[in-house]
Amino acid sequence: MREQLLALQEQALVDLAEAEGNALDAWRVQYLGKKGALSLALRSMSKLSAEERPIVGQVANAVRETLEAAFASKFAEWEGKQAAKQEEKETIDITLPGRTRSVGAEHPLQKIIRRIEDIFIGFGFTVEEGPEVEWDYYNFEALNLPKDHPARDMQDTFYLSEELLMRTHTSPVQARTLEKRRPEWPIRIIVPGRVYRRDDDDATHSHAFTQVEGLVVGKGVRMSDLKGILLTFAKELFGENQEIRLRPSFFPFTEPSAEMDIRCIYCGGDGCSTCKHTGWIEVLGCGMVHPRVLEMGGYDPEEVTGFAFGMGVERIAMLLYKIEDIRQFYQNDLRLLKQFASLPE
Amino acid sequence: MKITWNWLGEYVDLTGLTPEQVAEDLTSAGIPVEKMASMNLGVEGVVVGLIESVTPHPQADRLRVCHIDTGTKKLQIVTGATNVQAGQKVPVALVGAKLPEKHIELANFRGLSSEGMLCSASELGLDDKFLPKDQAEGIWIFPEDAPLGENVVEYLGLNDVVMELELTPNRSDCLSFRGVAYEVAALYSREVHMPDVDTSGVATVSDKPLSVRIDTALCTGYSGQVVTHLELGPSPMWMQMRLLAVGMRPINNLVDITNYVMFEWGQPLHAFDYDAIDNWEIVVRQAKDREVLRTLDSQDRELTSDVIVISDHMKGLGLAGVMGGENSEVRVTTTTVVIESAMFDPITTRRTSRLLQLRSEAALRFEKGLDPDAVLPALHRASMLMVQYAGGELVGAPVITGKALISPGAKQQILVRVVRVAEVLGYALAIEELEGFCRQLGLQTAREGAALSVTVPARRPDLLREEDMIEEFARLAGFDRIPSTNLEGVLSHGGLSKSQKLRRMARDYMRNQGFDEVWTYSFVDAAGHRKLNIADDHELARPMMLLNPLSEDRESLRTTMLLPLLDVARYNANRQWDALFVFEIGTVFLPDAKVVKKGVSAPVEKKMLAGVAYGSVAKEPLYAGRNFDFFDMKGIVEGLFGRLGIANLINFERAVYPYLHSGRSAEILAGEKPIGKLGQLRKEVAKAYDLPSEVLYFEVEIDAMVELASPHLYVAELPRFPQVERDLAVVVNRNLPVADLFGTVKEAAGSLLESVTVFDVYTGDHVGQEEKSVALRLVFRAPNRTLTENEVQLAVDQVLLQLHSNYGAILRK
Repeated sequence: MREQLLALQEQALVDLAEAEGNALDAWRVQYLGKKGALSLALRSMSKLSAEERPIVGQVANAVRETLEAAFASKFAEWEGKQAAKQEEKETIDITLPGRTRSVGAEHPLQKIIRRIEDIFIGFGFTVEEGPEVEWDYYNFEALNLPKDHPARDMQDTFYLSEELLMRTHTSPVQARTLEKRRPEWPIRIIVPGRVYRRDDDDATHSHAFTQVEGLVVGKGVRMSDLKGILLTFAKELFGENQEIRLRPSFFPFTEPSAEMDIRCIYCGGDGCSTCKHTGWIEVLGCGMVHPRVLEMGGYDPEEVTGFAFGMGVERIAMLLYKIEDIRQFYQNDLRLLKQFASLPE
Repeated sequence: MKITWNWLGEYVDLTGLTPEQVAEDLTSAGIPVEKMASMNLGVEGVVVGLIESVTPHPQADRLRVCHIDTGTKKLQIVTGATNVQAGQKVPVALVGAKLPEKHIELANFRGLSSEGMLCSASELGLDDKFLPKDQAEGIWIFPEDAPLGENVVEYLGLNDVVMELELTPNRSDCLSFRGVAYEVAALYSREVHMPDVDTSGVATVSDKPLSVRIDTALCTGYSGQVVTHLELGPSPMWMQMRLLAVGMRPINNLVDITNYVMFEWGQPLHAFDYDAIDNWEIVVRQAKDREVLRTLDSQDRELTSDVIVISDHMKGLGLAGVMGGENSEVRVTTTTVVIESAMFDPITTRRTSRLLQLRSEAALRFEKGLDPDAVLPALHRASMLMVQYAGGELVGAPVITGKALISPGAKQQILVRVVRVAEVLGYALAIEELEGFCRQLGLQTAREGAALSVTVPARRPDLLREEDMIEEFARLAGFDRIPSTNLEGVLSHGGLSKSQKLRRMARDYMRNQGFDEVWTYSFVDAAGHRKLNIADDHELARPMMLLNPLSEDRESLRTTMLLPLLDVARYNANRQWDALFVFEIGTVFLPDAKVVKKGVSAPVEKKMLAGVAYGSVAKEPLYAGRNFDFFDMKGIVEGLFGRLGIANLINFERAVYPYLHSGRSAEILAGEKPIGKLGQLRKEVAKAYDLPSEVLYFEVEIDAMVELASPHLYVAELPRFPQVERDLAVVVNRNLPVADLFGTVKEAAGSLLESVTVFDVYTGDHVGQEEKSVALRLVFRAPNRTLTENEVQLAVDQVLLQLHSNYGAILRK
């Protein structure tokens, strides 16, 4: 009996070695099934003596375990082969392009505005806005520019009526803010916004452009504070090693007035064509708020003082991104704009 | 304002200074020097020569042979110029001479040698646009008194430097050499020396009377000097050259002298022909309405009472401060003139010169305001120059009238507190230092305790109050001396407003949806609405118009973002972009009659988020298959509302817009309030913009979203009991909006319904032609128990009953 079982095992293993696919299933039925060879062999055990039965039983169990293990391993091997075949069939060219979910580009001017806003928010400034269609009063008169003042020539104006115009700068928001907040101080605001000048469009002029205005009013505000805040700002925006220089200038709504230059960001101050070989680049106008402006806004210039500054966003974007034609900001050529989807800060 | 170095040197000692240094110092003191150029662009070896004879070239019709005397040599020079004659003095470039663009060598023209070249003004490197035409086109003919043999660099004063000052409007005092001289004197602590204007020693004759009457408050001072026995002719070459250098055309000695003195003193002068003045009485008055005056450019000008006219009792003689009249112009026969030196109202002069578009150097100075202290010196100076260079004789003393000249007001006094200087600038300047700055500026001071009382001469009208003086001190001390300090005082809280935050969020959201941000101009063509199929009487077709647009295509304020965004789409479509996803947050301007001030109303400005899209959903052509469509765009918009937490407050309703597909457009509503639009562009509109047929557009008002957005987020409790789902397919009329079904389902199902969604819409053979089958998934749940089959079935039955009674809906088997 024992020899019979071992012979069965041997035969089964030989058969298993050659079985594949459906044949594997058939093998399992043939040897391990309820009516399979091993079951039949065990059934005949009833004829054995009581002494022989446990011994042969042990052998039979060993044979079953061996065959089951052999089957499991063979089956796993076969399954593995099948899976490999399937995957080979399903193989793709991983060098083909991915289906991108592209992120759109931030407009370069928006990018600059956001950076400037964030810098000044860090200094404790709030962001104010005002209308683009403005009254003559706020755009000029409240800023110490009475009608027929020659300085109005500095800014050629689009008019909608005698009193209504397209604002020529963001400064009217200074006048509006003073009027709204009086008599409270401190005022610390910046004002981004679109402004309009009656200039023919060319590479350096645009009838519409963007300014960011700043206004600080409070007790004991000094021109040295203006210089301090502008220096920090210049370092944040143009780089840690930036230096600034103030030069006397004129704006009707500030006194003293100044232009602020930074070290040329291309040549570092050695002189190049961008800075006209001066080593400096003009980036903003600023000054101490003219006492008349404070008075018209309802403040006593003996009690509070203030400073203001204003910069052209296009100019800064042109410097930082090396854009040479201001019209490109409004042309919206996707070949240009899409480059701002990936540009770092 | 242009100045020349040598000319400036007549009024202030420039010893030890270079033009470069002065330019740099002026610039950092607030008088920017924009350009600097040498007047000699490389002329060497050119002398004044006399043409002794001119003979035709034997071999060439177009050439002439000139025999030249240079004082030391006789030369034969062949020229092609036609304006040469014997007896003329001309610039002769000798062999070996250098010109800006030429090097002169011995030449041979058709067998005759030429020992040099006769030069034109432009060959000498001069801008000939101010020279008379006959002078500019041929050889430059010098006056007879040109010294024979003199180097023309000397003769023409070419060893000089021209500087162009970019003056800010407050520094009109520097529109004269006198003003610039004071500025330079202040920078280097030097003295200003103006020429002698004392006419008391000049002989006079007295047989020609003159009287002046001022009949208008717009003229505050008028002085006139009669000069007779004049000989009209060219002014001396040095004067012509200086006028040329500062951009003034030399005309004749009398006119040149008035201009020269204007540049010297900043006081515009005018010379009238004395014999044109009827009864020798000058009347300064406002023009009569519609009075006509022919100005010396031969134009008839119709005037209004806003214009000041110089006249006699019969007729107008000139427009005060702007342009003389033709009838009183200095001409060849003139022997006697009246030199006018006067003060006219700046605003009136400015308006007149703008109205008549006559922007002269004189008008420029009048409109900035004049220095009353320069009126009489300028008159005297011009009188003396006419005596010296035009053979004139003064007729009596000048006539002087007007309050500003007869009884000038007290000089401006400004009190400057030493402590205030430190308060404004952030660093202290000692009173002694402030006194020093005043001395440099030529201002008198007196101490008043810890303050200075500063007396300001009339030549500095920009110095009006303490701050103006503080600026003067700051710039003379140098702005570099201002330290950098930190703001002191209470802390303030910085940040963005709710609307600003929402806009940032909306921008980020749109970009994350793959939309590129664009910025378009606010000005559009007022007829642009027609391209959008919008009727002329539509509210969007009545924009605010600019009074002075630069061009027709930018003449009005946009009322919709669609117009500029379609321009962007077209621009890029024409550059082979077959898919485009762009958005903008921009302002539209809607006329509004509500806010009326001074008879006009400002428009309502609305910030809009708007987007345009077309093309394949997939970026890579390999995966292209489906185009971006209505539901893609609707999904973008819904996603935005979801992001803002306001999705449940928004409805989409079918709507009709002239530019959108009537079956594929929606109004976006918050409750009853329209806050935006969404839809596919009409095909004909898309076609007019060279765009594909399926273009999607949306716009939403930013501030409407701001109002809806809640500042709070409350977390809902997580469900503890299972949900039960039921799928129903109902057959309804094909045109019934699914949103209506949703409404009925929600109403009928009661509180156990958690959500209803649509997962299939079928039209075709298995339903009637006018029908569609809508498959709905209803999800039920109770917060406190597991639902029973019965409860759910009851709710479903209610739903079906209500759908049937509302829409005749039948459950599809």
